[in-house]
Amino acid sequence: MRYLVFSLCLVLVSCASYPKQKSLKEIETTNKQIRNLYFSDSEKDYVYKASIDLYGNHFGGMLIIKKIAPKNHRVVFTTEMGSKIFDLSFIGDNFKVNFIISDLDRKMLLNQLKKDFRILFTEEAKVLKTFNTENETIFEVQLLKDEYYYVTNSNNLTKIVRVSKGKEKEVFSFVECKENDALELEIQHKTFDLTIRLVAI
Amino acid sequence: MYRVFFFFVLSFNVFPIIAQEQLMNGAEIATFKKQVANASSTTTTIKSDFIQYKHLDFLDNAITTYGQLWYKSPNLVKWEYTKPYQYSVIFKGNQMLVNDGGNKSSIDMERSKLFKKLSNLIVNSVQGTLFDENDFETSFFITEKGNKVIFVSKDEKLKKYITSFELVFNKKDATVIQIKMIEPSGDYTQIVFTHKEINTSLPSALFSF
Repeated sequence: MRYLVFSLCLVLVSCASYPKQKSLKEIETTNKQIRNLYFSDSEKDYVYKASIDLYGNHFGGMLIIKKIAPKNHRVVFTTEMGSKIFDLSFIGDNFKVNFIISDLDRKMLLNQLKKDFRILFTEEAKVLKTFNTENETIFEVQLLKDEYYYVTNSNNLTKIVRVSKGKEKEVFSFVECKENDALELEIQHKTFDLTIRLVAI
Repeated sequence: MYRVFFFFVLSFNVFPIIAQEQLMNGAEIATFKKQVANASSTTTTIKSDFIQYKHLDFLDNAITTYGQLWYKSPNLVKWEYTKPYQYSVIFKGNQMLVNDGGNKSSIDMERSKLFKKLSNLIVNSVQGTLFDENDFETSFFITEKGNKVIFVSKDEKLKKYITSFELVFNKKDATVIQIKMIEPSGDYTQIVFTHKEINTSLPSALFSF
């Protein structure tokens, strides 16, 4: 009987919503929109030293992001010596693979990259609920049919967390930022062996 | 008016191209090849700075990186990027050794034929001994900058990554001063060598991490 109670507790805890698990306190939603402007300046070339770890394989190189026009981004990953690894276009709701080396030409990976960059390039999202902790204000939004939490600290976006069934599935961490420039960021997947680290150069 | 326009177009577009680039004739090709063969047979080491420009059609400015190159005959090559990041690669026989900002790794090139081809391209272009490669269709030009050789890939697999490859040689000492790798999309990587020193003594320790 004791085991049954314990198991039930475990089930209840694991089913608890993300805000409950994190003991987040819901507050009134005054900001109806949350903005992510890290890749919003079409005048800028966003160039990063990148490292991508995928299923035990390490790929190093440069990642170049350019906002060509509103809702139009280009992402190119090259080796340090300049050879292209992938080249992707995000135009409106369309996603186009301009180039990818055959070793990485896998549907699962491409779908994941498509989703990751779409989130990074989403400049505005509608806030469904707002929570706070001692230092942070957290905004719950729905993007691409998934549940996301935008974590802010003193009005700076520090994290975007994708949550499914109460669990963190993916974390975008903006480690170092200066105004609207993300100087260092990491995208870590919890259910897919993929981590992307970017440091601005 | 039409004549004025025609003259305008010609003077700004066609004439400079004619002046800058001229196809070599058979005798010139033979002399040039001999000059490069002589230079490479007497070159035991090369030490050079380089600037790499990565041109992408959607960027207004190329991405510029800086570094140094060391070559020791017959087949040791080290590329070291120093700015804006630290990254070195050593081509040593069938191994490619990488030091990525302190993270060291090695790649066995025997496992990848394509990789081996790409590394041979780099070693041979530094040596200037690419002409015998069967994988390329070559054409030779005299330009203002130097003697230029264009290599067009014949290998189907390599073609997916590099459609053509250009080397510019110094007219005086017949060493490579510029490398350009052109991708199928038209984007390209250009490497310009500066402060070149030939046959200075290079310690073997340079070619290990």
